[in-house]
Amino acid sequence: MVAVLAVIMVSYPVVVVTLRAISKQEIGSALTFEWISALVDSARSREALLNTLIYTAGATVLAMGLGVLLAFLSTRTDMPGGRVIGFLALLPMLVPPFILVVGWVAIADPAAGFINIAASALTGSRTSWVSINTMAGLIWMTGLFLTPYVYLMVAAGFRNSDAAMEEAARVSGAGRLRLLYSIVLPLQRPALLAALLLVIIMAAGDFIIPATVGLKAKIYMLPSLIWQNHASFPHRPGLAAAQSLLLVVVGLLCIYFQRRALSRGGRYTTVGGKGARPMLFSLGRLRYPLGVLALLFALSSSVIPLLAVGCMAFMRYWSPYALKPENLTLRNFNYMLFEYPQVWPSAQHSLFLGIAGATACVALAIALAWYVIRARGRLAGIVDYAMVLPLGIPGIALGVGILSLWILVPGGIYGTLWILLLAYVTAHIPVAMQFVGSALHRIHTELEDASRVSGQAWAGTLRRIDIPLMAPALIGSWLLMYVVILREVSLVILLYNPSTIVLSVGLMDVWQNGFYPELAVYSLLLLVLGVIPVALLWKFARFS
Amino acid sequence: MTLSVQGLSKAYSAAGARALDDFSLDFPADQCTVLLGPSGCGKTTVLRSIAGLIRPDAGRITVDGAAVFDTATGVDVPPEKRRLGMVFQSYALWPHLSVAENIGYPLVAAGVARAEVARRTAAMLEWIGLPGMGARYVHELSGGQQQRISLGRAMVAKPRAILFDEPLSNLDARLRERMRLELLALRQQAPFTSIYVTHDQLEAMTLADRVVVMRAGEIEQVGSPEEVYKRPRTRFSADFVGIPNLLEATVRSAAGADLVVDTVVGALAARSWRSDWRAGARCTVAVRPTLLTVQAGGRSGRVVRSVFQGASTIELVDFDGTEVTIESLGEERHAPGSTVSMKPAPGAVFAVLDD
Repeated sequence: MVAVLAVIMVSYPVVVVTLRAISKQEIGSALTFEWISALVDSARSREALLNTLIYTAGATVLAMGLGVLLAFLSTRTDMPGGRVIGFLALLPMLVPPFILVVGWVAIADPAAGFINIAASALTGSRTSWVSINTMAGLIWMTGLFLTPYVYLMVAAGFRNSDAAMEEAARVSGAGRLRLLYSIVLPLQRPALLAALLLVIIMAAGDFIIPATVGLKAKIYMLPSLIWQNHASFPHRPGLAAAQSLLLVVVGLLCIYFQRRALSRGGRYTTVGGKGARPMLFSLGRLRYPLGVLALLFALSSSVIPLLAVGCMAFMRYWSPYALKPENLTLRNFNYMLFEYPQVWPSAQHSLFLGIAGATACVALAIALAWYVIRARGRLAGIVDYAMVLPLGIPGIALGVGILSLWILVPGGIYGTLWILLLAYVTAHIPVAMQFVGSALHRIHTELEDASRVSGQAWAGTLRRIDIPLMAPALIGSWLLMYVVILREVSLVILLYNPSTIVLSVGLMDVWQNGFYPELAVYSLLLLVLGVIPVALLWKFARFS
Repeated sequence: MTLSVQGLSKAYSAAGARALDDFSLDFPADQCTVLLGPSGCGKTTVLRSIAGLIRPDAGRITVDGAAVFDTATGVDVPPEKRRLGMVFQSYALWPHLSVAENIGYPLVAAGVARAEVARRTAAMLEWIGLPGMGARYVHELSGGQQQRISLGRAMVAKPRAILFDEPLSNLDARLRERMRLELLALRQQAPFTSIYVTHDQLEAMTLADRVVVMRAGEIEQVGSPEEVYKRPRTRFSADFVGIPNLLEATVRSAAGADLVVDTVVGALAARSWRSDWRAGARCTVAVRPTLLTVQAGGRSGRVVRSVFQGASTIELVDFDGTEVTIESLGEERHAPGSTVSMKPAPGAVFAVLDD
């Protein structure tokens, strides 16, 4: 029952998006191919297609290059500070991307960015060295945001590589360079391929950067255009659905190939592997220069933008000449926290949705993981496959799918907080299930058998044996769900209305008003709401 | 209390070979029945079916005359209602619970009052030789101690029978021997009905009141340990209880089941499971290595290898192309290549195999 509902929940958005893309009006009206052909017939759509392609390619190359390089340098070389750089490289995952966008605006705005202010001060006249409002700027930000995902997927492989295989290559006469390109990197091929496909999906479906800096710079991309086709005149939801369908197809193809790469990775796994630590490549004279460079990149992916946001939050106004001590003020905090009408309702909604959504995801994940792994129900295979779908569907496209169905149901959940909750659970259940599933896999079935034979029925066994044993994974996945729900924008941008606004979407409003110092305060609030419960729970979980 | 299994069948895949094929056996009260066989012979399937952890395709399982599983009537009592105890190969102790909580778990599950749980858990800790260890956690204990806790948990609720699933196979050789003797001592103190699954013939010989040799889902032989060891019924049984010498023989004379047979090592007295023998018939005789002695000289055999292994000496002797293994307690060894002859121990009777 739960399994059937879960499969329907994750698969109907794809069907709905497809139907909507070939329907003239709402689903059920006459069929047409005008939206599909408008993908390339409309000049704006064509432009967005090309931009999305360039943006995705650029961000993917940057993230892969940076991620693999940082992972290699920090795990497999004698570069100083490897551990610190490894930590810094992962830090952006904890920070809502919106804050980083605000940070980069503060740093590299063509007029008032810190870099250009410094340049003006040096040259004595108004100059603009760098601009974030360019395709290069967009690629730079996205590349940095995606680097931690590459790092995470590749660094573990580097760290756990089997020293014996490399020693065998050395003994067989391979030099360091040959060892690197003939053994070390090829052994990571499945992880590299999986990371590559993940980054392509995330870049192509990324919403926040195209919809903020991208629109400001008039660089149109598919996700931002989908939003515009819904939210502003002329309304063209059919075209939006066709554009979503294109993203969904690309995303699902990537997911398919990623799964295949990971499952074929089996032949790369080696027996044992618990040998000596693999040897560290010596960088020689490049040790320190490379260390400084890596540190700079690692810092610029989170710490530097965060500092810039913090700085901006205290400024009375945001202009090229505003960076003076007399312009520092707490007024922004006072205004945003106590006077801005939207802030507390949206904070309440965000907290409710974060807590309820994370709890629902984890509870459903326990039920589904149990069904697939232990009960091996008849639908186990289907559930397992279906749960992969949302991973390949960009948030904005999932939003289109959910919207297009529920808008048809009169008196339904459309326009309430429940549709947001449904969207969050649909989008994030696969990740929660991966966490819970791998935790359940690690519990030896004899631990459950022993409980059954001892007189405890399956429900009691789940409660007294499995859930306590999975507790760290359950808490971890709950926290992750909470944090990603809090920061989610693309998924709910089409589903909220003024009475259900959430913090992350409220940020988009403030962005469009253009009050950057207030935006900085607002985004810091989002960061604090995300980080404080995580820190508290983490501490509580550690010491209990 | 008796436990009985009738007509049990189980196939793990529709097309695959049956793990169990029409398996029937009674397990007498207060006795230890050992299911002995190689991996894949179905012994674990029998045990897990009795526990209720897997569902057989057909058959009937009764405890004290009442069915806990019966495909004819559709009865399938879940494992938690069968009131059995089980000791697992991996011990299956719960790492998030203390030793006392592990042992007391079946009592808590049965709704026993807290003070009573504490009392019986403490008594059980005493009995398994770990008094005062209740507050420890499992990972702080050695493999042997973990195995004893696993046994304590299986016994604490006074189950109707205790099932052992290769409980010693994760221990090192020396500890395995000690635990084997401890288990025997516990059973002699207070007998309980147990079913014990193993592939180790030494464990089977020590612990069993009755050994059941299994092969490919069917029973090969049932008997006391002594009986199975001294009179293996088939080539498979003989091989599995550790008899390396299976010699081709010709019947010289027969008196019912008692035969005199000619083999490469000479004439031997042997007993068969059948009594329809005639002189000149061919058969196979299981010859235990300890019942032969080697004598220097003679012409019949040539020593291939002589291996000193501490308590005894193993010698491999070639008789016209048939290699025979002899184990002796003496320290006399013969140089490889020297010729020897063979003599059976006085009064020794060898087993004639059915196949």
